[in-house]
Amino acid sequence: MRKPIQNLIYLYIIIGSAVTLLLMHCGLKALTVTVPQQAKAGEQVTFVMHSGAEPRIEGSGKYTTQLVAGMMVPKSWNARKNAVLTFTSPKGNGTMRLIADSEIEPVSGLSWHQAAKKMFGIGPNLVDDFEWIIYRSTQSYTFANNEDINFDVKVECHVGHENMLVRLGFYVGSSIENLRPNDTDYKKFTFSNVLEVVDGEGDLIDFVNPQLGTVQPVKSSDNDIITLSFNSGVSSTVLDGQQDIYLHVSAFDEKDERIATVNIQQDKSKLIKSAGKKFLIDLWPRGYFELSKDQQITRLEYFFTDLSGEKVVGYGNTDEPFKYTFRCE
Amino acid sequence: MKFNLSKIWILLIVGFTLFTACEDDMSSITSQEAFKDITGSWQVIQLKRNGEDLSERMNLHDFRMDFKEDGTYSLAEKLPFLTQGTGNYELNDPQYPFSLILTSEQQESHTVKFQFPVVDGRRQLSLTFSLGCTSNSYEYNFERVNQDQ
Repeated sequence: MRKPIQNLIYLYIIIGSAVTLLLMHCGLKALTVTVPQQAKAGEQVTFVMHSGAEPRIEGSGKYTTQLVAGMMVPKSWNARKNAVLTFTSPKGNGTMRLIADSEIEPVSGLSWHQAAKKMFGIGPNLVDDFEWIIYRSTQSYTFANNEDINFDVKVECHVGHENMLVRLGFYVGSSIENLRPNDTDYKKFTFSNVLEVVDGEGDLIDFVNPQLGTVQPVKSSDNDIITLSFNSGVSSTVLDGQQDIYLHVSAFDEKDERIATVNIQQDKSKLIKSAGKKFLIDLWPRGYFELSKDQQITRLEYFFTDLSGEKVVGYGNTDEPFKYTFRCE
Repeated sequence: MKFNLSKIWILLIVGFTLFTACEDDMSSITSQEAFKDITGSWQVIQLKRNGEDLSERMNLHDFRMDFKEDGTYSLAEKLPFLTQGTGNYELNDPQYPFSLILTSEQQESHTVKFQFPVVDGRRQLSLTFSLGCTSNSYEYNFERVNQDQ
């Protein structure tokens, strides 16, 4: 009774091993990208992903799949609506289609876009205001053994209206392989060199370089909970070695008038020590400044101080305050 | 081998007998999804912003919300929440709710994503919504105050 079941198990193992061996060396070439160093705000730019397929299939086996490609860009670019992805290859050219949010990536159980964000993260960027967007070719392509090809995926996308320094993420993969965590053959991803967006609106958003002071989320209103961080390891300041760091902060309204200030050293304004030499404070601006219902904050100016309030660090380790403007778009 | 086969047959026959014996009783049992009762005082035990857990860093001790039997709610004090003070509440479906509708005294209505899971044997109330920018999502997880009593 047990023998047929055992034989069946052995058969599955043999078939599984054979399939693994057949496809073991099949995969994608390393991914490189061409990204301009600079772009003007709102401009349409072109990014190109360069990769290839290296099918190593024994016997007369075939490998049929669709090309999957994606990118990680700032949410403010609204790339889902304006990006166009096309590919060129010896096996054919085509336009890629955005994978629907409702389609689940089988390994993670998340949408493809969420799965890619979970798997690839934000790379060398330090502040997270990014989204991964994944596309798939409309046609399938069949490969025979040693049918090596190179292919390019071209991304045409508007860069948004904000000044920024950013490193973009890119990914190519095979549709039938999904996003398996241990797979290194069928998914290739990389992050670009720094792209600078100039002539745009507002303060420079620097995703790349370590900052003494940062604010999360990058986009928020005065009714969000925001996190102000002091990264004392970025450069030497008068607060070096201090264990207790406090926040001095002023709130300004739409007329740019100062409507509230909290500049005393107390529990409310004390930062919490985080990893490494990082300190942070989470606050809900409307409650922190005890605003009335008709008051609204448009921006903050702030410094970090020691317990005495005499040692003060401002933007770029100067006497100028750090500034943060509330905006949702 | 023969012994094993006969053992299996006996087990199958006994199992089948037991199953068919219960058939009438089983088919007569009807199950109805219970109405979700959220009345009581709820305390925030976890707060996530865009998936990041802020609970360890923020003082949530005083963050309480009361749902009363008369359909009104009240928030303990001025808190980062969709609404302040008091108002009325309603589940979109008392048996299979997926949203909670909060209407403030000023008649401002907010619909928030609602979940009512049991975590580690304790009932939780989970509300998800945006406070400020729509791009920022907050998940508040509550537990009933004095749930053990």
